[in-house]
Amino acid sequence: MKNVFAQDMKHTTFSWDNIGNITEGRGDLGEDMPVLVYRLMQYTMLDELAKVYGIDRANEHFRNAGYLAGSEFAKNTLDLSLDFNSFLAALQKSLHDLKVGVLRMEAFDPDTGEIVLTVGQDLDCSGLPITNETVCYYDEGFISGILEAYTGKKYDVHEVDCWATGDRVCRFNGSVVAD
Amino acid sequence: MAQDNIDRNNLGFIGNLLCEYLRDAIYKPNEAHLDQSLLPEELRAFASGLEYFAECVMEINDLAKSLAKGDVVRAKVPSRENEMASPLKSLHSSLSHLTWQTTQIAKGDYGQRVNFMGEFADSFNAMVAQLKERRDALTEEIKNGEEKTKALEQSNSLFEAVTSCLHNLIAVVDIENSQEWLFINHPVEQFLKRRDLMPYLFKWVTDQVGQNEDIHSESATELELPDDEKPQYISVERYPLRWYGRDAAVFVLTDITLEKMRYLQLENYAYRDALTGAHNRHYGMEILGKWLYEGVSFMICFIDIDYLKYVNDAYGHEAGDSYILLVTDALGAFGSDANICRLGGDEFMLLLKGWDQEAAEKHLEGIRNGLRRQKASPNAINPYSISYGVVSVDKSNTLAPGELLAKADEKMYVYKRAHKISRTGDASKTTDKI
Repeated sequence: MKNVFAQDMKHTTFSWDNIGNITEGRGDLGEDMPVLVYRLMQYTMLDELAKVYGIDRANEHFRNAGYLAGSEFAKNTLDLSLDFNSFLAALQKSLHDLKVGVLRMEAFDPDTGEIVLTVGQDLDCSGLPITNETVCYYDEGFISGILEAYTGKKYDVHEVDCWATGDRVCRFNGSVVAD
Repeated sequence: MAQDNIDRNNLGFIGNLLCEYLRDAIYKPNEAHLDQSLLPEELRAFASGLEYFAECVMEINDLAKSLAKGDVVRAKVPSRENEMASPLKSLHSSLSHLTWQTTQIAKGDYGQRVNFMGEFADSFNAMVAQLKERRDALTEEIKNGEEKTKALEQSNSLFEAVTSCLHNLIAVVDIENSQEWLFINHPVEQFLKRRDLMPYLFKWVTDQVGQNEDIHSESATELELPDDEKPQYISVERYPLRWYGRDAAVFVLTDITLEKMRYLQLENYAYRDALTGAHNRHYGMEILGKWLYEGVSFMICFIDIDYLKYVNDAYGHEAGDSYILLVTDALGAFGSDANICRLGGDEFMLLLKGWDQEAAEKHLEGIRNGLRRQKASPNAINPYSISYGVVSVDKSNTLAPGELLAKADEKMYVYKRAHKISRTGDASKTTDKI
C-alpha cells in the first residue's frame, strides 16, 4: 500500500522545516539534551567519514555542513536587517541561550570585512583532550554561513588558535572571499 | 675509576652546555641555541624537551612584555603548541575583546557589557550605563530642542509673513533701560527711511517711554508727523510685552493719513459752509451747546447781511455770493479764536470767548461801517451793511441754545429797525425790506 498523502520531501535534503516540531514531538523530554549526545553523534560521524573519505575530506564535509547550518540558522532565527553591532549582540545572546558557546569579538574592520572572534565553552571542542589538531571545522563553516547570510559576502573562516584554560577557547579569523 | 673520571668530565661539559643554553634562553633569547650533536644520544629527548620548554617560556615572555606595554592588538600570540601559554593567551583574548568593546562604546554602542576582571567590569559597566543615560537624555533634549526650533521657525516664518504683509508698522522698544529698539518690522523701516522720519519717531517713542508713568498699560493715540508736502497721520497703539526677559512696549503704528484726510473732508462737509468755509449751523449749535454745558462765559452774536436779497435780484447770485464772502472775511477780524457760523442765507452766528458785550458790539459796528464804505459795483445804489444783536452768556444762564440764538436774533431785529437805511444808503428814507 502506498501512502498517497506522504509529503514529497526527503530528510537527506536539509530544510529548516525538516527540524520539525521538537516541543510537540518530544513531549515530556523537551528541547534540551546533554552535550554528550551531540558530541557522540558528531565524532562518530566524523570517524565514519574519515574512514570512508580520509581525514581531510571528512573535515571538509564537516565544514560544509557547518556552513549550511550557520546559513539556515541566521536566516531563520536572526534579524538580518539590524546594524552590525545590534546583529552581533543578538547573535551573542542567541548562541549563549542555545548553549552553543560564548562568542566574543576581538576585531572587525568595516572597510575590509576582516573579523577576529573567539568562541569559549564551545559545544564542539571545549573539554576535549589536547591532541594538537584543529577540530573546529564545523564551527568554521557555521560562522562563515552566518557572516555570509548577514553581509551577503562569501566569508572564508579559519580557526587560528585553540587553547585550554580549563575550558577551551577557539579564535577564528574571517575574511571576505574576493569574487 | 678512569671511566668515572670520563663520565664526570662529560657530565661537567653537558651541564655547562645546558646551563649556558638556559642562561641564553633567559637573558639573550635571540642567541639561545642548543647543539644537540654535542650531547649523548640518551639526552637528546631531554634536550628537545628543554628546547620546547625554553621556547614556550620565550613566547610567554614576549606576549607578557607586549601586554605589559599595552600593545594588545599587535602582540605576537604564542603558537597553539604552547600549552603553557594558555592562561596568558586567555588574558590576551579578554583584553582584545575589551579593546573591541571599548572601541564600540566610543562609537556610541552603549549596549556593550564587560564581564571580565570583576570590580573593573562593574565600574566599567556602570560608566557605560551612565554614558547611555546621558546620551539618551541629551538625545531627548536635542529632539525637544529641534521640535521647539521647528515650531519657532514656523511661528517666526508666519510672524514674518504676516508682519511683512500688514500695513501696520510694528516696533518693539526696551522700556527698562536703554530704550533700545528691539524689533522693527521691514515696512516700518522702509516707511520711516523713505520719509526721513526715523529720528522724529524715535524721539517721540522714547519720550513716550521716558515720560509716561503708565507705560506698562495699553494705550492708543494719534500722531501727526511733520511733512513738507502734506501732514502724515499715524495711529499708535501701545501694548506691554516681556521681550527676552526685558520689559518692552510694542508700538503698532498704522498710517491713517488717507482715512484722516477723508475724515477731515467729511468733517468739513458736516461742519463747514460750502461757500464761505465758515462753520455751519450744525457745528455752531454744537459748540454753543458745549459751551453752555461747560458753563463758560461768552458772547453770542446774531448777524444779518442787509439787502442780500436785493443784491441777488439786482446783480445776480454771483454778486450775492461775493457779498456773503465779503462779510465772512470781515467777520474774520475777530481772530482765529472766534467761531464764525453761517446759519443759512444771509444769517451768521458768532461765538466769542474773551470778549465783553461792549467790545464785541463796538467791533461789529466797526465792521458794519467798513462794509458800508463798499458797494457791489461803482454804480450800485446801496452799500454793503450788516445788522447784529449781541447777547452775553455766563454760567448763570438758564436758556437753551435755540432760545439764546432767538434772543440774539431778536436783538438783531431791534438793531436793524433802529438803524434802517435805504437802498441808496440813506438811513432816514427807506421803507424797503432789508
